[in-house]
Amino acid sequence: MEMFLYLDNDTFLHRLDPRTKMLVMLATFVVALMFYSLNTLLILSAVVLIYGLVGKTLSNLKRIRFILLMIFLFSVVLWSLTYGGEPKLLGPISLEGILYGIVIGIKFDIMIIAGMIFLSSTKVEEISLGLVKIKVPYRGAFAFATAIRMVPMIVATSYTISQAQRSRGLDLDSGNLVERAKKYIPLLIPTIISVIRGTNVFAMALESKGFGYSEDRTNYLQISIKKGDLLVIFMALVVIAISVYYRFII
Amino acid sequence: MKEIFSMWKDTKMVVLVALSAGIYAAVLIPFKGFVLIPGITEFRPASALPVVLGLLFGPAGAWGAAIGNLIGDFFGSLGIGSTFGFVGNFLFAYVPYKLWRNLGLVSKEDMEPNLKSSKQIIAYIVVSILGSAACALFIGWGLEILGMVPFAALASIITLNNSIPSIILGMPLLIVLYPRIKKWDLLWTDIIPEADVPAITAKSRTGAVVMVAFILVGLVGGLIAAVGGGQALLYSGFASTAGDALVGIIAGIGSIGVLVAGFMQ
Repeated sequence: MEMFLYLDNDTFLHRLDPRTKMLVMLATFVVALMFYSLNTLLILSAVVLIYGLVGKTLSNLKRIRFILLMIFLFSVVLWSLTYGGEPKLLGPISLEGILYGIVIGIKFDIMIIAGMIFLSSTKVEEISLGLVKIKVPYRGAFAFATAIRMVPMIVATSYTISQAQRSRGLDLDSGNLVERAKKYIPLLIPTIISVIRGTNVFAMALESKGFGYSEDRTNYLQISIKKGDLLVIFMALVVIAISVYYRFII
Repeated sequence: MKEIFSMWKDTKMVVLVALSAGIYAAVLIPFKGFVLIPGITEFRPASALPVVLGLLFGPAGAWGAAIGNLIGDFFGSLGIGSTFGFVGNFLFAYVPYKLWRNLGLVSKEDMEPNLKSSKQIIAYIVVSILGSAACALFIGWGLEILGMVPFAALASIITLNNSIPSIILGMPLLIVLYPRIKKWDLLWTDIIPEADVPAITAKSRTGAVVMVAFILVGLVGGLIAAVGGGQALLYSGFASTAGDALVGIIAGIGSIGVLVAGFMQ
């Protein structure tokens, strides 16, 4: 089971420093949040997709297409019904409401795609080290990276428990959605217990390997800002500056 | 509030942060497609967890809820809202364990969250609702000032979406988990040094009352200002746009006040 989005390619995007990629992601969020013009958001979408294409990361769009589609559809339906505006097309639905829903749907989808590109081109260890380099305390970054690694393990544990219960006759497949969800809830408890039970051993294992011995840790993995990073950082800052100029000054 | 920083010295608490975050994220992720507000929130049975994690693991549960929510966002909804989601989910677990200790809902002799008395059950329901409200207040305020989602709609939906699972699912979860966590010596008050466990004093009790006041002022005041400004609650609220200055100020005072009140405890 592959839950992570990371794609192991050797591209310009993959070689960028994680801090640079964080800045690009942030710049995308800033620009997406500033504009409500459909044309501007479509241009931003094109730029984000080209950026993702450079890193050969767009294949992951397939994996999050359901979420992207749901967000877009919900957005259009929700704002079409509630936004008001003119001209009225059918009942409370107006053309203005539909366009606003489309704009908001694109806005959110762009931000999610920017997040996906970041995760598709950056390893968990790189994210963790990037956080340390921007002065997030090591223990916090460690907890973050460990938690990400734990997720597939926890899902696998819950799968094993559900299989064990099925073998004892638990029927998880019948009933409507709510009834089925109810049957899964009791499986949550043994999953949590089995994960938490390992806490003491986990802590001892960490300390036996020198966790917390020194505040100044060294890392096997090394990251650094190179020429390519400087170029991308410069471009991201220029895009933010132009956006601010158009949004607030003109 | 010092325990939320000092706990990082203890390896076991660091591990509990990671495990809490992992569990929360693992339950959040399968429901990412069940969208309630596009790009912002979804149907979240996982909301049963932060209050339980907060009461059992204290500051580790709070950091776990914050990091777990962020990881959950990595699987499909990472955006600017994730920063407010981080703090909001931290408060979702932090407010309950702080109020549990300091609001005087349970006696000093019966402080451990075993839910064996009706007093403890009532206390659990109260802190769950206030934790949910604090989370809704902070996220609602953040996205209102960013002009993304109207406060009245978002704050009311998040309050309900958080408090219902945390009461209905969280209570049995805590009843089952407590004896085991206690047996394994993993309650936060059993892990961190006694000197780091904040004492219950007149100041901390005042801090708890101030925290509740700011939650209520921020959320209820924000909702009244929002409705007065033309917004509406729940899904009807999407008929309006976000960015009302008065709502931003009132909800902002409430949000910042909750954090400040934390320092008094």
